[in-house]
Amino acid sequence: MLQGLADAGLLSLSFAVPLAVVLVAMPPFMRFLTRSGRVAKDVHKRPPTQVPAPVGPVLFLGALAGELVAYATFGSLVPVAVIGAATVAFVVGLTDDLFVLGARVKPLLLLLAGVPLVVLVAFQRDLYVPSITFPLLGPSAEHFTIYTLLVVAAFPIVSNAFNMMDSFNGEISWFTLLTSASVLFAVVLRAAFTAGFSLARVATTLPLVAVAMGFLVFNRYPSRAFDGDSGALFMGAMFACLAVTGGVEIAAIVAIVPAILNSFYTLSSVRGFVERRKMATRPTYLGEDGKLYASMEPSAPSTLVRLVLLGGPLSERELVRNVVLLTLAACLLSAAISLLTWVH
Amino acid sequence: MRLAPLVLIETVAFLLVIGETYLFFAVVVPLGAVPKNPLEYTGMAALKIGLTFGLGVLWFLVIAALTRAYVSSRIRRQIPTPST
Repeated sequence: MLQGLADAGLLSLSFAVPLAVVLVAMPPFMRFLTRSGRVAKDVHKRPPTQVPAPVGPVLFLGALAGELVAYATFGSLVPVAVIGAATVAFVVGLTDDLFVLGARVKPLLLLLAGVPLVVLVAFQRDLYVPSITFPLLGPSAEHFTIYTLLVVAAFPIVSNAFNMMDSFNGEISWFTLLTSASVLFAVVLRAAFTAGFSLARVATTLPLVAVAMGFLVFNRYPSRAFDGDSGALFMGAMFACLAVTGGVEIAAIVAIVPAILNSFYTLSSVRGFVERRKMATRPTYLGEDGKLYASMEPSAPSTLVRLVLLGGPLSERELVRNVVLLTLAACLLSAAISLLTWVH
Repeated sequence: MRLAPLVLIETVAFLLVIGETYLFFAVVVPLGAVPKNPLEYTGMAALKIGLTFGLGVLWFLVIAALTRAYVSSRIRRQIPTPST
């Protein structure tokens, strides 16, 4: 009983600290960005407004604080691996925010986000198990080399998928909050129904949920802060790392199906990696009535948002609500997968 | 109702992800014993790569077909055809 209370207290800290860091540090950092002229044009407003960007550094600071609390309280290397992956993706994202990286360079650099995880498994053998547990069927056989290669390849894919969901007010914060909550649900179920599964993995998952929740306060419509690539990329890398270390890969993949489809639509319609600032035609456009319309240009990238808008024009707030509903549907499927996998 | 077709595509993508991941880890990866003959070994490796590629292509084709059907049906609805 006492142990349970102590664990709950420690887990609460892993959630409360990053949330507090984001809520407290964000307003002064936004003022600093505005003063130093670091603002981005919110092109989906008429007339366009200026929004402080990138606030990724504050989000990263919050996540870092949360993972350090998890490491200090549970002593596992899992938070260290998550910090390593997040740091690499954050540095790549911040470099892109400040200097703009090429569309092909960014995914290559993001491969490095998987390196800390692969290196640290030499020091803690159970950092990740090189197999995938399927609903009802149980775990596959272990294949260290194949699994590890897939893990390293997953970092640029997932980070970019998160980044591509960062186009409208509140889109990335809602998306990260819902999908990280799905991973948390899966990890909690696994911890509850698997003997010897460490609570450190639950503690490690909480900071991403807290950071997304804190960011939502500033990023929801109408946005007062944009995260930039530094925010979206590190949250994607953290998500991938948490899915792997938590051993809940299937639930995680299912939760981010809208982002996977979005990346697939974009990459297949523009036929390769193209920096979004260099796309010849935009997938959507802002009408005179302030509503967003799907582009009818055949060469326009088929993003998820364009597919939603093909049903008719929407205000930005309505559009994001639709994307959130699609994400919610995927997260419910993910929850079903988690229940079928771990509750027995 | 606007989202119903997209949720359907999402569900198909989800079912394919689970099914294909299972096929990859349960069927493709452990396929056959490790052959001693270098020719057999190369053949087995090529078969595994081909099957993996095939799984990816299958996902791509199914999702692309569903999306194309969705996009063309939406565009048809928005662009009125001349009456006969």
